[in-house]
Amino acid sequence: METRSSTGSRLRPRSRRAAGSVAALALASSLLAACGGDGGKPELVWYINPDSGGQDAVAEKCSTDDYTISTQVLPQDAGQQRIQLARRLAAKDPSIDLMSIDPPFTAEFADAGFLAEVPQDAKTQLEEQGTFKGALDAATWNDQLVVFPFWSNTQVLWYRKSFVDKAGIDMSQPVTWDQIIDAASENDGKVAVQANKYEGYVVWINALVEGAGGTILENPEEGVDADITLGDEAGKQAAGIIEKLATSEAAPADLSVSNEGTAGSTFGSDQGSFLVNWTYIFKNYDETAPDVAEDIGYTRYPQTVEGEESRPPYGGIGIGVSAYSDEQELALEAAQCLVSPESQGINADLTGNMPASTQGYDYPKLKEQYPADLLELFQTSVDAAAPRTVTPYWSDVSGSIQNIWHPPRSVNDDTPGRSTTFIEDVLKGGDLL
Amino acid sequence: MTATVAPEKDVTKSGKSGKSAKKPASDRSSAENKLGLKLVAPAVVLMLLVTAYPMLQALYLSLFRYRLTAPDDRAFVGVDNYLTILSDDQFWLSTGTTVLIMVVTVAVELVIGFAFAMVMHRIVFARGLMRTSILIPYGIITVVSAFAWQFAFSLNNGFVNAWFNWLPWIAEDTNWFGDYWHAMFAIMVSEIWKTTPFMALLLLAGLAQVSEDMLEAAKVDGATWTQRLTKVILPNMRAAIMVAVLFRALDAYRIFDNIFVMTKGAEGTQSISFLTYRQVIEQMQLGLGSAMSVLLFLSVLLLAWLIVKLFRVDLAQARGEG
Amino acid sequence: MAGNTSGKTAVGTWIGFALIMLWCLFPVAWIISLSFKSEGETAAGSAQFLPKEPTFDNYKAIIDNPDFTRALINSFGIALIATLLSVIFATLAAYAIARLEFKGKRLVLSLALAIAMFPVVALVGPLFDMWTTFGLFNTWPGLIIPYMSFTLPLAIWTLSAFFREIPWEMEQAAQVDGATSWQAFRKVIVPLAAPGVFTAAILTFFFAWNEFVLAISLTSTTSSRTVPAQMSFFVGPDPFNPPYAQLATASVIVTLPVIVIVLLFQRKIVAGLTSGAVKG
Repeated sequence: METRSSTGSRLRPRSRRAAGSVAALALASSLLAACGGDGGKPELVWYINPDSGGQDAVAEKCSTDDYTISTQVLPQDAGQQRIQLARRLAAKDPSIDLMSIDPPFTAEFADAGFLAEVPQDAKTQLEEQGTFKGALDAATWNDQLVVFPFWSNTQVLWYRKSFVDKAGIDMSQPVTWDQIIDAASENDGKVAVQANKYEGYVVWINALVEGAGGTILENPEEGVDADITLGDEAGKQAAGIIEKLATSEAAPADLSVSNEGTAGSTFGSDQGSFLVNWTYIFKNYDETAPDVAEDIGYTRYPQTVEGEESRPPYGGIGIGVSAYSDEQELALEAAQCLVSPESQGINADLTGNMPASTQGYDYPKLKEQYPADLLELFQTSVDAAAPRTVTPYWSDVSGSIQNIWHPPRSVNDDTPGRSTTFIEDVLKGGDLL
Repeated sequence: MTATVAPEKDVTKSGKSGKSAKKPASDRSSAENKLGLKLVAPAVVLMLLVTAYPMLQALYLSLFRYRLTAPDDRAFVGVDNYLTILSDDQFWLSTGTTVLIMVVTVAVELVIGFAFAMVMHRIVFARGLMRTSILIPYGIITVVSAFAWQFAFSLNNGFVNAWFNWLPWIAEDTNWFGDYWHAMFAIMVSEIWKTTPFMALLLLAGLAQVSEDMLEAAKVDGATWTQRLTKVILPNMRAAIMVAVLFRALDAYRIFDNIFVMTKGAEGTQSISFLTYRQVIEQMQLGLGSAMSVLLFLSVLLLAWLIVKLFRVDLAQARGEG
Repeated sequence: MAGNTSGKTAVGTWIGFALIMLWCLFPVAWIISLSFKSEGETAAGSAQFLPKEPTFDNYKAIIDNPDFTRALINSFGIALIATLLSVIFATLAAYAIARLEFKGKRLVLSLALAIAMFPVVALVGPLFDMWTTFGLFNTWPGLIIPYMSFTLPLAIWTLSAFFREIPWEMEQAAQVDGATSWQAFRKVIVPLAAPGVFTAAILTFFFAWNEFVLAISLTSTTSSRTVPAQMSFFVGPDPFNPPYAQLATASVIVTLPVIVIVLLFQRKIVAGLTSGAVKG
């Protein structure tokens, strides 16, 4: 009888009760937030990087009678994506089932035990559908395949046909960075790259270094004791190109804050001439600037050193299954569907992010949308691409490089050497990042 | 600090005088003691739960090498983390940047805020309108302020370059986030815009306490406007100025939101809070990051102490002159 | 002579008034203007102040953006609950401080002062560690609890200053007239204290509404991310270009509650901001 509150007692509010009910409200609301509507069928939550709808479409396609795949969008910046995922995984959060992981952070996640192993039958499927070697390498840590390669991205050199006509350069032959910077400087053009203080800048640096036959670090399996080789000759050649562009007439005004998007805008402007950027650029201007879309030409990524084959950047997304997922079996099954050639094709068609396998490229709509020579260029570029070194400490390495190499204007002959020392210090915990 | 606690002293006194008349008995006072403790307990527990306990934990973690993504690699390292930080260039550069932001913004805010307070004090019309307007920057989310100014200074979408390119140091294509001084300027503009109203309101309250009679008397004695300002107004507002400076300086020293949104710490604009955030959250270095946290906390304490000290000296000098 | 100076002062005041209004409202006008620019206009670069062709598209897009609306709900919910709880606890504490004599009173005040100065970033690491252990990471209570703790000093401060001004003798008078102490408190003191409590609530709400460091550090999905955090991770239709106009639109929307509160309660806010801190 005491428990049932009469009307009389309700008229006498006590602060303690009020506090109690508010606390209950807080708890209830958090519970409400924690478990969204579940109607019996398991829901697999897939954390995706932002795109223009490709992953949503694939998630819908791969939802079955046994489970529904729903998506949660991660922040735009790859570094932020890593932070958001890693913090939850470190807390052993079971509410992540599937996640889209950027290649450079795959090793870190795998090393920390965040990822479920890819089963043998899935591996066979991936090989059968002709998954690119670069994609498999980037998805492997300690000889284990740890993520499902979903799409493979690479950069090519985009140019404005009208500009190269004006400048009189033969684009049928491989070009070097020196050539395009000079051509742009002399003809009032801007060379658009990604050089903000973020992962995309390291993508560029890595491609330049690899293009000169070098690499940022060797023996990654040594962990923090890996050999940092950025200070070698190749690193200096890379620094030379960045210095040259940053101090030339061809440097866009926003060089030090440029990313894929702003570089695309520069390329679309009156001063647009050359742009290194991912595959999606081909469709980027169709709606906003059709005259630019008409004017786009493409060729292989520029050479760092004349005569030496360029090593275009490798990017993309691998799908990882969380080791803490409550529905790991189902998630692994779902992942297999998400990376099927058809799914890769659907995604590529919607987003311009190209498949990770040769069979993915066979998707009919893709062939309608893109010229055959461009699709071929993408595939040869992926084959020749130089992935960033697979190491669990990539975020430290990359962060250190960003620290020393940014802003691009400050890059000079000493930069590679200084960054080598700094990376070593940071890895051994002797320096702040 | 004494000045800020001073009003509470009054509270204590008035409470006592109000009561001593009616409740002299000692059992009464022991009951009062108990009740008082009971009433403050929830607040105190909450405040300690979220500050003291984590701070102790930070102190403990700061003695370890401990990274979230490599949990097996945890080891006791003593004060190594502190040595690493204190011998690091970046730590000192960030501290320098932070102190610069603090000094410049507080100084500018003090001047502009004082001017605003004078206007608000004098004004006889539209007082409500003015108060409402001045509270908008105060109430606006810092992140919003940062975005508004970032866009204003933006190369492609901002009006600043277009409007001010007649100035010799601003061009059509000035990249405001492309070098240290420009980026710092933009960050400080955002900070100053948002927080000057707070400063102005505190100073307004101080101005209200300067007696009009004294000002009138000084005027009759033939004191110039500057003399009245330095000899009458400012000395009489010292408590208000001190509180405003103390609060704003400590707030500015913790600057984070503007930097996170506008530059993400690029071009050397990293503040000490931002550096700590990067160690703890981005690098997931709980050991090193905890050591940074402890140092940050200590530096805030030091700063508070310094400001209190400095002001006393200044005020003493001012009085000596007067 | 006197007329001349006062004339000059009047002109000065007018100019000052105009400058203050410009200072306060111009940046707000700028984000409003930006929010009406089309996505195409900002993508191509639009250095002019006013939109070329004003459009409501951004508002439609923002309201249809489930992440943003979810963040708005989170922000409102978290800020309101934190405010309510904080003010309740602060009222108890402030009453004790203003009215009762007890040991440790100075300690409580010093603690409040110390916490008001506390660098929030310093807590992010250990709090993250604690919250993941307790399962509070990325939940509403995970933000509500620290928000309460950090607003308590301000609330206690403001409230004890208000309570000091209350004529407590009236309570005794009511008790003499036969009211119980509870009735005396409720009928006499509560109406007198209400404005102060209300002011403390507004200031607390502003703090929680504005908070950013904890919001980005202790959340990781839209289930608890508040507006400031969501805005910093905002992704527009083009995954590589910052959605200027939509961010401006989001800014305008989250500023609306602030403007409403300020319009309704400017007198109380000013009183609250200045009462606790300055009288000394």
